[in-house]
Amino acid sequence: MSPSKIKQKAPAIIGTSQAMERIKDLISHVADTGLNILICGESGVGKEVVAQNLYQESPRSSRPFLKINCAALPDGLLESELFGHEQGAFTGAERKKRGKFELADGGVLLLDEIGDMSIALQAKLLHVLQSGEFSPLGSEKEVHTDTWVLAATNHELEEDIRHDKFREDLYYRLNIIKILIPPLRERPEDIPHLIEHFVNEYAYQFQAGRINIPGNHMIAKLCEYHWPGNVRELQNILKRGFALGNWDEIIDELFRYAPASIPSSGQSAGAMGRSASVSSLSGLDYRTLNLDDISLKDITRAAQGRVEREVISFVLEKTGWNRSKASRILKISYKALLYKIKDLNIIIPH
Amino acid sequence: MTTSPLARLLIIEDNEEVLRSLKKYFTKKNYDVVTASNGLDGLKVYENDQDGFDLIITDLVMPNISGVAIISLVKKKSPQTPVIAITGWGEHPEALATEAQADLVLEKPIELDRMDRFISDLLKKK
Repeated sequence: MSPSKIKQKAPAIIGTSQAMERIKDLISHVADTGLNILICGESGVGKEVVAQNLYQESPRSSRPFLKINCAALPDGLLESELFGHEQGAFTGAERKKRGKFELADGGVLLLDEIGDMSIALQAKLLHVLQSGEFSPLGSEKEVHTDTWVLAATNHELEEDIRHDKFREDLYYRLNIIKILIPPLRERPEDIPHLIEHFVNEYAYQFQAGRINIPGNHMIAKLCEYHWPGNVRELQNILKRGFALGNWDEIIDELFRYAPASIPSSGQSAGAMGRSASVSSLSGLDYRTLNLDDISLKDITRAAQGRVEREVISFVLEKTGWNRSKASRILKISYKALLYKIKDLNIIIPH
Repeated sequence: MTTSPLARLLIIEDNEEVLRSLKKYFTKKNYDVVTASNGLDGLKVYENDQDGFDLIITDLVMPNISGVAIISLVKKKSPQTPVIAITGWGEHPEALATEAQADLVLEKPIELDRMDRFISDLLKKK
């Protein structure tokens, strides 16, 4: 495979919220540095769009931009994809294969879902980042690479370090610059701009005049929704609405599957569990997604987040926000509870 | 009577309390102190500055642009400018700071008089 050298325009970063303006500013200041960058944010926030913008604004924009999803491949295969292999390096290695680090030489390599990389491969990656050299599988020769590494993750890597799932030294080496993209629910002011952007994009694709644009009232409702699947979910919903025009129905469905608010003190989490569907648990109506966008991991993670939020809120309420007591009841460490309160955005009631 | 400042310092630190105390201390010591409360703002101050800084002090762990990035970029543009990295207890990017050619890495809590002596030494060597 020879990497494409066709210069494509990076997708625009849409939004006028302070957070998105800050990200655009950050990109323009760091794109020419060649320093490792870690792009963080929930699934669907647009981590790859940020990576493409960094690449396009960098002096490497005429060189290859390659991407690899570290969660999508088994360890051995990922290692061979990254570093390549010699002929006969393992059963089935019939011919020599160049790895992404060699193919991306002089260009950019985006390591997506870096938080899912095994500890063993993390060690190999660290070596490349430290020395700029690596050995393909089955070879004793070190190959030099000048690849700008961008890494993306929806994991809280600091938490993964605490659980020995991520190497601290690799974290510091990747985290020279960190771009954190906030979830869409924290920047609802960007939603109308995103809708306008997708209207323009799909109007072109659907042939002008054949697109069902949502009215202002519908746009206001879309701004109220919490978008657990972020921009990707918004895009899928819009695509469906543009084609079918059934905006009332779409919005009804969205809110029907939206999670209930934190239970009042009399309601137990068990009672909720009996009638819970995957959609209400995860807050993500996977039936509205394209098949390609369904990720079991993301849905499970969303469901887990909602369950944790509900149970922790309930126990905190019961203990009058005594966090030491709550952590003992929940059988998690005090530190883990503090982290979860912050991570799940559980707010102390006034 | 005012005397001309000893040198011009840029201090980048995201902990406001630490930043305030550093600014207060070094201003009192007759340095011209410019501050920034995060890496991106610090980088912008550095890039847009016309007069030049004699020495830069940066925290290592900060949101967006880390101190390691600041050190790398400063040393690329003006290798002779001394940079002091300060790091919180239990944070471990010191090796990267040294690799990026920080002239000195100091662990918090900072002893200001000691830091002042280091700064004088680094400025003399410059």
